[in-house]
Amino acid sequence: MQAKTFTMADLIRYTLVIAILIVFLFPIYWMVSTSFKPPPDILTRPPKWTFQPTLSNYVYAFEEANFALFLKNTLIVSVISSTIVIVLASLAAYSFARYNTGAGHLMFFFLTTRMMPGIAVIIPFFVIFKVIGGTAIGQALSLGLDRLGALVVCYTVFNLPFAIWLMHSFFQDIPRELEDSARLDGYSRLQVLWRVVLPLAVPGIAVTAIFTLIFSWNEFLFAFLLTRDVARTITVGVAGFWTQRGIMWGPLSAAATVCVVPMLVFALVLQRYIVRGLTFGAVRG
Amino acid sequence: MASVTLENVWKRYGKVEAVCGISLDIADKEFMAFLGPSGCGKSSTMRMIAGLEEITSGNIYFDGELMIKVRPRDRNVAMAFETYALYPTLNVYENLAFPLRSSNRSGVDVDKRVREIAGMLEITDLLDRKPTNLSSGQQQLVGLGRALSREPRVFLLDEPISHLDTRQRVRMRAYIKRLHIELGYTMIYVTHNQEEAMALADRVAVMNEGLLSQVGTPEEIFHNPTDTFVAGFVGEPPMNFLECEYRRENGRHLLDHKGTTMEMPSHGEALAQRGAIPPRVTMGIRPFYIDIGLEKSARHVIPAEVFVVEPLGDMTVATVTLLGARLQIVTELGFRARPKQTVWLAFDPTRTLLFDAETGRALIYEA
Repeated sequence: MQAKTFTMADLIRYTLVIAILIVFLFPIYWMVSTSFKPPPDILTRPPKWTFQPTLSNYVYAFEEANFALFLKNTLIVSVISSTIVIVLASLAAYSFARYNTGAGHLMFFFLTTRMMPGIAVIIPFFVIFKVIGGTAIGQALSLGLDRLGALVVCYTVFNLPFAIWLMHSFFQDIPRELEDSARLDGYSRLQVLWRVVLPLAVPGIAVTAIFTLIFSWNEFLFAFLLTRDVARTITVGVAGFWTQRGIMWGPLSAAATVCVVPMLVFALVLQRYIVRGLTFGAVRG
Repeated sequence: MASVTLENVWKRYGKVEAVCGISLDIADKEFMAFLGPSGCGKSSTMRMIAGLEEITSGNIYFDGELMIKVRPRDRNVAMAFETYALYPTLNVYENLAFPLRSSNRSGVDVDKRVREIAGMLEITDLLDRKPTNLSSGQQQLVGLGRALSREPRVFLLDEPISHLDTRQRVRMRAYIKRLHIELGYTMIYVTHNQEEAMALADRVAVMNEGLLSQVGTPEEIFHNPTDTFVAGFVGEPPMNFLECEYRRENGRHLLDHKGTTMEMPSHGEALAQRGAIPPRVTMGIRPFYIDIGLEKSARHVIPAEVFVVEPLGDMTVATVTLLGARLQIVTELGFRARPKQTVWLAFDPTRTLLFDAETGRALIYEA
């Protein structure tokens, strides 16, 4: 193999990359290291780079602050709402891509719902769930305040337009001839969707699922205002360490780490799909 | 197998008229080519036969059975696509088996049929491969195989070989023709390549701007085109056209091209005596039927200036300028001339065609 010469340009390039990496990764390093620091070492000045690692912050977060419940809530809400979003969005996106349903206006309308900030509708949502939660149906579907069903509905509503929009471009990239061919080969529209289109749309569906899952997982505003104890999620749980007696940095960092790590691992594993999803147009394979 | 009948078929996309009232009979086991430039409506027509496009108005029959309400999957037509349309997630075997596995064809011995088709197309050793690992020629073979695997009533081919390179194209063309002869399927072949249409089809339907210009055997299309569009579209190098004025002088019928008097073609005299020649006519003559001479002679009376001479190996094409009009002439292999050199032309009067300059219609058909 030929030895590569290390030029001045390379030096500058790597220096820049390393500098940017430090800026991006340092907060994460700080969060993780803080979560393992014994409380006296956390706020010392200058910061302590070496310390005796401890799990006490994690123990506190899980045992005193009921973090296991929050984690379970987040998991349930994210997975259920993402599943609903994927099913609805793939059908809607396929319809938009193939049949031009609504001549573009309907799809644009869906997209516009993304343009308003969530906080603009939070009061109406609060009132709606308060009323529905009082009814028998609302209770059966767990749609009231401080209930998981309410969060599932909110996350579905807010993720759906984005998912439709993302998947629309994936479906458009699937050559129409494949469907024509299958229709001539003796398959019904639904069979064509199931046997020809969906297998080809798997990368797009995966990307969309990843994004909606991450959005739901990280959502704070709705969870903060619509839940109190029973349905509280991790993001709100993390903020809960900001108490009247002060900020509990150790448990907070431990909780934040627990909150971030699953998504981080998830994103790393599916990195290939995510990049593909962001660059689009790679469905043909 | 089935015969296909189109009866006044229209297709409109909003205000755009893609197909304007086409009527056509395609016999059982016939090989029919739809030939025309892009946007002429040939693909729309084929897709309507397949049922992939709805018909705006008109009727389509297979063996006299009305098809317009029949779903594509129930028509039992097969189609080979320009882009091959192989299912990328399935290997070749599964691609060939796909039509056989559809719900309404259970009971077919899938494995036996797949191997039979693969053997026939000589692609047995490709069965385990994914379509992306095949050459474009192999992909189209698989595409043909998939279409053949279910013994369709009508076999549609939509520009199946236009993405192949020239050598593969000629090979596949012969292959498709042989396939038709051996299997005897009713085939409809859409192409913009006149050579393909002529080489393959029993009859060619030439289409232009949503209308059928002419339907006929390759010989009819070539020698007796109904209008200047067909005449100019079919044949390589294309037919030469000269705008002429018709006049009578001392009882003789003459054609003038910018002051040069042309010989009246053989069928022109009869037309003229019936008074069927309009004042302005377009004279059409194929490059094969002009003789070129370096000296003036009794036959070679029309002077022209050489533009360029191209020796192509199998033929030599001379391009000459005749009073501003440019003509292409297929001449003998050894013919050489310098640009701007004066040469003398002789048109074969039995092969010269006359068209109405206003309508473009061939005069022989109007007479």
